[in-house]
Amino acid sequence: MSRPVVVADRMSKWYGQVIGLNEVTVSIPPGISGLLGPNGAGKSTLLKLVTGQLKPSKGHVQVLGEPVWGNPGAYRRIGYCPDHDAFYERFTGREWLTALLGLSGFEGERAAGAAERALETVGLTTAADRKIGGYSKGMRQRIKLAQAIAHEPELLVLDEPLAGLDPIGRRRVIDVIKAWGRDGRSVVVSSHVLHEIELMTSNILLLHNGRILAEGNVHRIRELIDEHPHTVRITAEDPRRLARHLLGYPHVIAMQLQDGAVVAQTSQPDAFYAELTALAAGDEAGAVREVTSPDDNLQAVFSYLVEH
Amino acid sequence: MADSHAAPALGPAALRVFDLGLGQMLWSRRTVFMALVAGGPVLIAVLLRALASLPVFDGGAGQIAGRPVSLDGPDIFGLMIWTFYLRFTVPVLGVFYGTALIADEVEDRTVTYLFTRPVARGAVLAGKYLAYLVCTAVVVLPSVMLVYFLVVPLLGGDIGRNFPALLVDLGLIGAGLAVYGAVFGLVGAWFRRPLLTGLVFVFGWEPLVVVLPGYMKYLSVAYYLQGLAPHAMPQGDALSVIQALLTSVQTPLGTWANLLALAVIWAAALAAAMRVVERREYVLGQ
Repeated sequence: MSRPVVVADRMSKWYGQVIGLNEVTVSIPPGISGLLGPNGAGKSTLLKLVTGQLKPSKGHVQVLGEPVWGNPGAYRRIGYCPDHDAFYERFTGREWLTALLGLSGFEGERAAGAAERALETVGLTTAADRKIGGYSKGMRQRIKLAQAIAHEPELLVLDEPLAGLDPIGRRRVIDVIKAWGRDGRSVVVSSHVLHEIELMTSNILLLHNGRILAEGNVHRIRELIDEHPHTVRITAEDPRRLARHLLGYPHVIAMQLQDGAVVAQTSQPDAFYAELTALAAGDEAGAVREVTSPDDNLQAVFSYLVEH
Repeated sequence: MADSHAAPALGPAALRVFDLGLGQMLWSRRTVFMALVAGGPVLIAVLLRALASLPVFDGGAGQIAGRPVSLDGPDIFGLMIWTFYLRFTVPVLGVFYGTALIADEVEDRTVTYLFTRPVARGAVLAGKYLAYLVCTAVVVLPSVMLVYFLVVPLLGGDIGRNFPALLVDLGLIGAGLAVYGAVFGLVGAWFRRPLLTGLVFVFGWEPLVVVLPGYMKYLSVAYYLQGLAPHAMPQGDALSVIQALLTSVQTPLGTWANLLALAVIWAAALAAAMRVVERREYVLGQ
């Protein structure tokens, strides 16, 4: 059996009196693994511990066979895409990538080539010489992913990489992640939307209130999710026109218009997202700018799991 | 696929961070503030030149309204170097930039991109510190030179003869920027309210201890810088009294002792700041 990429042994993290992560013992295998949990579950804390940004208050973590806190040499092998929207806004996408590649030891032509490949992978070649400050939310998400993959790490750690992406961007990022896994490299990706994780992997780690609830191939979660209506918020150019189209889908069970967005509830998330992507690719419903899924969906399922 | 090896050496890693940090620092709002601070003495120098063209100064070199004065252009320049640059501009820039070396990246949450690269965190601080030095030197040193050429010719001063003193002044200001930047880099890495702590040090602690008798003055940067100031202070008039108050007690230390003290403060503060950054966790707000 191949060696796990992340091994945590009774690892806890406290922020003062607040527990971020509680006695987590986990072994994440190579390949793509999804970290699933509602907001505040401890996903970001776990990923920050895995990327050496935080030091465990108790216990240990090893990444790719070596400790990661205070071991910058290990960062050559790790690519991290944070959840927060923070950039050097005055840099162009290309300048930013090249500068960060410089910090990873890439220089000159090698850095330029790696930056170009990463830009191409995330579909930002045409916007590469524009300032990041002028990027749309989806482009910012993609340039963030580009900086994580540009130095071709062995392990990609992605914190909510699909948040705020439009359907096309979402599809592209999912494809990048899956391709990364097919190439024999590893990805740990977090989300509060099971449907998103499922599109990338069936190996899931369930996190709730700083504890691991379950790990492995969790089919029951899928069934539970399907028992609860799935809520999707879609920001669109013309929400009324989009709503008219969505009303035609048999699995859409409720709909509401809110400040330039449509909030829809569906009983079949898979079918809904597939049809929404097709709709966004065409022109008949106007441009779809952003798709988000409130974590109420998952929170209900997790509450059920904790109770049972 | 990338190989795992040790992080690059401190020097090359710091230079890479410097590359990234310089542009960011040069085009920040803080630099506008810095240009205003450094532009103040230039404005005063221009005003002095305008005043010097008034009829009251027509009596010739070293005379005002036909009466001889013991003050000339180089003296005024020396006074400006001390009061405007060494006691104000340099420490203020040190406080505003030094305390922000890491704090800005943490506040902007861009520190994540620096701390997840194969460079030691200490190298990140060192690189940002180098960017601070270049950034402040690029703005402050030309300002000093402009003031020199505007003020030194006043009242019969000679630009050529005083040029060596200008070079010493430039070196002194560079040393001041380096030492204050390192000290406040440590303050920024260590304290929760670094800006307030820095301002209290510059405007509370230092002016107080350099005029107090005893050994407290050794715990300041200004005391050692003062001992290196090359300008002879004018004596015997009202201005010299003011200047004496500003410069306070003359240092009994020699040039080399002052230089050594500044070097020790610089090295100790920078090393301590790097160590603090290496060991500290930075928890970013959501």
